[in-house]
Amino acid sequence: MKPTDQNGSPDAGIAGHGSFFQETNLSREEAVRATDWVRKHVDRRTVDLGERMDDVREHMYELEKEGEIIIHRITDGHEPMTVKTLFGWEKKIPTKQLWHHKSCGQCGNIPGYPTSLLWFMNEFGFVPGKDYLDETDQTSCTAWNYHGSGIGNVESLSAVFLRNFHQAYVSGKQHGHELGHFFPLVHCGTSFGNYKEVRKYLIESAALREKVTKILGKLGRLVDGKLVIPEEIIHYSEWVHVMRNRIASELQKIDVSNIRATAHVACHYYKMVHEDAVYDPEVLGGNRTAIITSVAQALGAQVIDYSTWYDCCGFGFRHIISEREFTRSFTMDRKIRVAREEANADVMLANDTGCVTTMDKNQWIGKAHDQDFSIPIVADVQFAALACGADPFKIVQLQWHASPCEDLVEKMGISWSEAKKNFQEYLKEVEKGNIEYLYNPELAYGGQA
Amino acid sequence: MQQIYDDIRGDFRYDNELNGCLNCGICTATCPAAHFYDYSPREIVQLLWTENVEQIYDAMQEKIWACAQCMTCAARCPFKNSPGGLVAIMREVAIKHEMQSAKDVLRPFGRVMLKLITTGNQLSPDMIQPDHFPDWGPNIQKVEGDLSVLRKAIPVKTLQTVETAWEVSLKTSVEMYTIWEMTGVLKSLELMDENLFDVIEDFIDEKREEYDEWLEEQEDDD
Repeated sequence: MKPTDQNGSPDAGIAGHGSFFQETNLSREEAVRATDWVRKHVDRRTVDLGERMDDVREHMYELEKEGEIIIHRITDGHEPMTVKTLFGWEKKIPTKQLWHHKSCGQCGNIPGYPTSLLWFMNEFGFVPGKDYLDETDQTSCTAWNYHGSGIGNVESLSAVFLRNFHQAYVSGKQHGHELGHFFPLVHCGTSFGNYKEVRKYLIESAALREKVTKILGKLGRLVDGKLVIPEEIIHYSEWVHVMRNRIASELQKIDVSNIRATAHVACHYYKMVHEDAVYDPEVLGGNRTAIITSVAQALGAQVIDYSTWYDCCGFGFRHIISEREFTRSFTMDRKIRVAREEANADVMLANDTGCVTTMDKNQWIGKAHDQDFSIPIVADVQFAALACGADPFKIVQLQWHASPCEDLVEKMGISWSEAKKNFQEYLKEVEKGNIEYLYNPELAYGGQA
Repeated sequence: MQQIYDDIRGDFRYDNELNGCLNCGICTATCPAAHFYDYSPREIVQLLWTENVEQIYDAMQEKIWACAQCMTCAARCPFKNSPGGLVAIMREVAIKHEMQSAKDVLRPFGRVMLKLITTGNQLSPDMIQPDHFPDWGPNIQKVEGDLSVLRKAIPVKTLQTVETAWEVSLKTSVEMYTIWEMTGVLKSLELMDENLFDVIEDFIDEKREEYDEWLEEQEDDD
């Protein structure tokens, strides 16, 4: 009903002032009672959204019931842990039997990301070929190219998604396991965001499903004539998040309480299909995604806030290649400078490919503009691996980073020069063919563990 | 011009990405590209919302390529719009209509495109060498040495590569070619850069032959 003033004029405001304003004459107790709800902390994870927010998974289950698709389910074998997402919905994070969906930017440029992750799985006693699989039969998600150039389309992105995830679904067979044994663990933030987006489009559009079914049929990648779609899309940093307490209690060897850490969470982790990102009331008051901060806190580091926490890194997809003056200006001005001046950070922790590359590689050029700021840039999983005693070169692969990671390593009480000397000795062994592996290399080609 | 607008509006994602506009400007306030370019996600939404066909066409000459695709705008919009998502649609349409802006933007992308279409990988260690990125400084990595040896020192078999980010099986790459063909991606590429398309076509033919030979060998072994 439109508010009116005491003369019945419909143009009155509702701001509690003006000629129509009347005292309520409430007693103090009544006033307190009436405004109690305002004082309460309103947690958006408890708000009933009604029909304002759709959970795509409900529609997936319906499509499965109708016999249209097969859902790659998370089972007890995957030993899932349940977390809460932005609106308080539950999301299952499988912790075992994982199919590593690698990231082109990480593997090509920051290999310490995937090696640290696989190293953790080995440290937990996971058996390669049974508890995880890394193989050659997978492609990039192709979303970097799409966001950068516009070449590509929803059909191509969807077909790539379904092709890779079909492979994850059937990959266990050649190792003697059931269909669906390995569940995909997506390493890249952009792949994660893109896959969630195209999954939504696939569920919403019968026309799109029809188009890509033809393509997948031609590739021989349908199961019983149906598309295989995963129950959840899982990012590696969610695995790190749910394993954080085990990492800290079972594996941590180095006290990191003297380390001042800042977090930069990938835009494509929590800004795309935002309802799926993980939030925890115990981390950052539940007001920001828990990813990264939660593991840094579990390890005992000091997590320091800074005013541009929500900002993008400046990667830009297209810009990192062809307009780097934007990329480096933005990352230096909005991330590195702020983390240095406000937080005096020892390290910036990230959970994506482009972010680490952008923030790590663009610090040197800042000197040209008297922006002499520098901060070590590593992924959450690399920092955690260092804290658990992983070799900074052989496992964490810090030799590929441009930012001053040696400062971080030294502050953690690890001798950089000693580790480097050992690594250079190891390189001589590599040249002779004496290579140390995290799993039997034959596994990558379908061979046995 | 009208056809360009109709193509944007005709994309099935359009109604999902545009629901109205308060003109509050929070998208532009949080937009990294707006810091450095004459670009505003609010303006993009307004142009589409008010069906300003002429200025939409103008925005597609340059502005849409400023967007960093971070989707901060989408996360913040009280109307659940995705200006970044709308820009993605506009970029696709710019390519479809062979707009010069799209051709100019794609030129420096050639190397990545070649790598992606032919291997299914977007990036490789041999692309990230100091001579390609002088602005990354002299200490782009902390241990000098032969790239192939340094890659072999990664304890994961699939990563001991130089020309691709990880080792992609031949069968996988060949499957990708089918996807590119059936979804019109190769067609788009031909419109944008005929020379690059020719190089890629030759490469794809070669790889397919290689795969067919491998299949025959497998049959002979059986």
